[in-house]
Amino acid sequence: MNNDFLSLIEESKALNSSIFSLIRLQLLSSIASVGKDGVSYRELKAVLQVSDGALYTNLKFLEETMYVTSKKINLEGKELESYQITPEGQQAWEHINDWLKKLVECGVKE
Amino acid sequence: MRLDKVIACLKALNFKPKVENFEHRLIIQKAVYLLQLKGVKTGFGYHLYVRGPYSKELTDQVYASKKKFENLESPASLSNAESRDIQEFKELFGEFKPSTLEIAATYSFFAFGEKQDALTALKNVKRMKSFYSEAQIAVGVSKAKEFLFKPNEKELAGLKEELRPWQEASAKSMRG
Repeated sequence: MNNDFLSLIEESKALNSSIFSLIRLQLLSSIASVGKDGVSYRELKAVLQVSDGALYTNLKFLEETMYVTSKKINLEGKELESYQITPEGQQAWEHINDWLKKLVECGVKE
Repeated sequence: MRLDKVIACLKALNFKPKVENFEHRLIIQKAVYLLQLKGVKTGFGYHLYVRGPYSKELTDQVYASKKKFENLESPASLSNAESRDIQEFKELFGEFKPSTLEIAATYSFFAFGEKQDALTALKNVKRMKSFYSEAQIAVGVSKAKEFLFKPNEKELAGLKEELRPWQEASAKSMRG
């Protein structure tokens, strides 16, 4: 069990720790879940219930990290900002997801 | 193949999809989900995501078979019951308005998929789709109910009881 935990700590060094904030994990998970279809700014705001400031800043961060990209889409005559996961973002999310699962399993064994 | 069944449904709906069009992909996602709840099984698994009920697998397959999909090439056929359900869908949602389908599918996920009571389901729709107006939500929810609501025996008895005074008054007036 100790070995499990220690190897998890070692493994965590390969993760991008700047993603480990609740809102960034929520954003990455939400955007990754709809793959190629992407998700609009207003949908993220409605579901995550965060301020425009927090949403904008963290989306900008994920774009700068090249984990998400944005583009304009048209829905019923309205132009909306839509966010898609990049292959790098998908890989990072899967990596974090696997690591979090292992961390939880390690806790369950205790 | 499951995608063949989806194509057969779109053909019956006279909907010619353009895969690169975001609105079209949204319409397909929600139409397939609502039809599945009605009984037209295509076998795609749906989960609740940020956009409401959504099947990532369906989108992936649509992209993978883009040409076949856009040309509506499918060997699959529909049963009479499925054709009836699709006809009913067409009458209610035939204008293929993305917002109405999005609201109807999200309400249906909560009310008919998760079996939540009507008020809780409505509250959840309003939370997830807060960017839509009250009127848009009312239209979507009412169409979802019209399409999927099947009254149980107790509700049927209640409805009959509610209608009884009207029926009696009508019979009385006919007798003169």
